[in-house]
Amino acid sequence: MIGLMPILLLGILILVLCGRLLLQWSKSRHDQPVTIEDFSRARAALDSMCLEAIATKRIFAIDDMEFIASKGTLELEHFFVKERQSLALRWLRLTQKQVGQLMDIHLKLASYTFEPSPRFEFRLAVNYVCFVVVSNALLTLVWLRGPFNAVRIVGYTLGVADYFCSVFSLRLEQTDPVKLGSARTPRIA
Amino acid sequence: MDTNLIWLIAMALEAAILFRGLRTELQKRYLFFYCYIGCLFLIEVLRFLCLSVTPNSYGAFYWQTELVRIVASYAVIFEIFKRALRHNPGVARIAQELLRVVFVLALAYAASDLLHGGFTSFPRATADLGRYLLYVEGALLLVMLWLFGRYRISFGRNLLGLTVGYSLVVGLDVMNLALLALPGHGYSIGLRKLLPITYLIALIIWCASLWSVQPEPAHPEVSAIDRDYDLLVAKTMAVFAHLSERGGRTFRP
Repeated sequence: MIGLMPILLLGILILVLCGRLLLQWSKSRHDQPVTIEDFSRARAALDSMCLEAIATKRIFAIDDMEFIASKGTLELEHFFVKERQSLALRWLRLTQKQVGQLMDIHLKLASYTFEPSPRFEFRLAVNYVCFVVVSNALLTLVWLRGPFNAVRIVGYTLGVADYFCSVFSLRLEQTDPVKLGSARTPRIA
Repeated sequence: MDTNLIWLIAMALEAAILFRGLRTELQKRYLFFYCYIGCLFLIEVLRFLCLSVTPNSYGAFYWQTELVRIVASYAVIFEIFKRALRHNPGVARIAQELLRVVFVLALAYAASDLLHGGFTSFPRATADLGRYLLYVEGALLLVMLWLFGRYRISFGRNLLGLTVGYSLVVGLDVMNLALLALPGHGYSIGLRKLLPITYLIALIIWCASLWSVQPEPAHPEVSAIDRDYDLLVAKTMAVFAHLSERGGRTFRP
């Protein structure tokens, strides 16, 4: 029975990936392949993410917490931590969403590339998986212990988010928007 | 449901798919797939005749025709690969390399297992060969489905239906044959009862999705997207190194 496990797993995985293909199709069937609108949206998301990266330092800044702790009451301290926690959680979810969207555009662009580098694509995929794992861990940590105990992991998350920011920024710079199709172009080939 | 009724419905659906393929001229676009369906139809008719005329020889005949069916189904894999990646030359190149590696590995595994098992009888050897060919096919299909998902390959309704129906048939067949190989194969009884129904579902999916010609998703001009991939990769690596250093410096306690 143990020897047959890989074969059974193979069958199950085929069905799971088939389901994912269906889901992907139902989500993207009204999408254009790559459009000027996609390009602009990705650019805007990218810019806002880079701005957020600077603002994020403040959300997790320990000096703010130390200041409140030295001047305020315990009640105020709790209120402050709660407020920063909700801000941090919102930022994390937004970052995950934006990196996910950018990854999506990268993959779409990579699929049209003449010679995508399997090595680079593999490294990017590994980095993305690491980002997803760490950002989810951070989300849990912030939710459980508050934002100030999570500063160290934030460093890593920001580093990887920055990396994705730059990867997609470079890729978008390489892509000439004039040569991309418009959203008004009919879908039929 | 009565087995003969399922059989007759399956034959009717296969005939309907072939008929619609000829009417809509989709058989020109998906030639290999329609050849496969034609082959299935012929096999079903021959099996039906064999069971009616010489029921004693049906067992051996079933496994021989099953082997033919599995070999013919490789044409569908080729069809899906060719049609899905025709606008994605880069992914097609990666997929080709990956599929070649998977094919060799899966074939080597299957061959060693087959030789290790020894040949007890001709029908048994035929059944084993068919089973291993199906495993190889399953491995190839898995890699293809993963690549389609990863690179967000866009599908038209026709090709999607073809791929989904085919994955359903192969996925369940792989599990069934794996369980069937177990001594006593009690585990596969439930799945075996389910298989004819799922096969009918796959035929209905094919029939519905290939009933008429559906528009295929538009693709941007391949040459216009990006030609400087190597440059992009080199720049990205440099930026990555720089940013990791910067990120580390900023958040060092």
